Amino acid sequence: MSAPELPWAVLADYRCFGCSPHNPHGIGLEFDEHPEGLQTTFDLGRSYESYPGVVHGGLLGVVCDETMGNLIVVRTGLVAFTVSMRMRYLTPVATGRSYTCLARLGAGADAGSPLISATAEIIDADGVGVVTASATYRNVPFGTARERIALTSPEADRLHQALSTTPALSTTADGPATVEETL
Amino acid sequence: MTTAADGILRQITEIVARELAVPAESLAADTDLRAVEGADSVRLLRVVAKVEQTWDVELDDSDVFTVSSVAELAAVVREALQVKAA
Repeated sequence: MSAPELPWAVLADYRCFGCSPHNPHGIGLEFDEHPEGLQTTFDLGRSYESYPGVVHGGLLGVVCDETMGNLIVVRTGLVAFTVSMRMRYLTPVATGRSYTCLARLGAGADAGSPLISATAEIIDADGVGVVTASATYRNVPFGTARERIALTSPEADRLHQALSTTPALSTTADGPATVEETL
Repeated sequence: MTTAADGILRQITEIVARELAVPAESLAADTDLRAVEGADSVRLLRVVAKVEQTWDVELDDSDVFTVSSVAELAAVVREALQVKAA
């Protein structure tokens, strides 16, 4: 499976806790395309545990949120902010073992809607589900996102350019599909 | 019971059979899920997760941990679908 080009990669020093390779405290997730969406395989060590040997549930929320959020970004070319997210923990996730998170788009992805839903599932090495998540994201135009993200002007220009060239499901000839300016 | 309700009941029965590794024919609408051989809390949560994925609904935990049969789970799903459609 190929790795999608994340628009954030144009920012030399982006520090996303979930997916930046530049944050020594982060978890450095890397994503691959999947026929049904976007996936990441991860192995979290004891720095991320709650009970001994058990990955902290909040971190699994980070994994799911990152996978769903980046799926929306690479599919729409729009910045997506998490509005709500709901987790269902089926069984403890062990530290030091490999798991895969797969995110799929839900409703709203094709309609240019400002709200898009997504789901995620974490499975173990045997393909058994251990966590599920569902979330709603608000896609916002870059101008709106720009007001909420700390970027220098050159960084903003580079990111805007990267998002504009993202091969989006709903891209129009003028760039990513328009969404309502409601934020 | 409507055809749609029959379909939900049938699909849930199939999900339960698959997740608990028992023949679907051994499950009746009023079978006590926690009494099925091999059933435990993790497997029953997997049933709930699969049901939520299948119908794209979020079931309340208060329902999840109190339903005891396929028929009760189907009723919770129908209610969730009605809320979703409203």
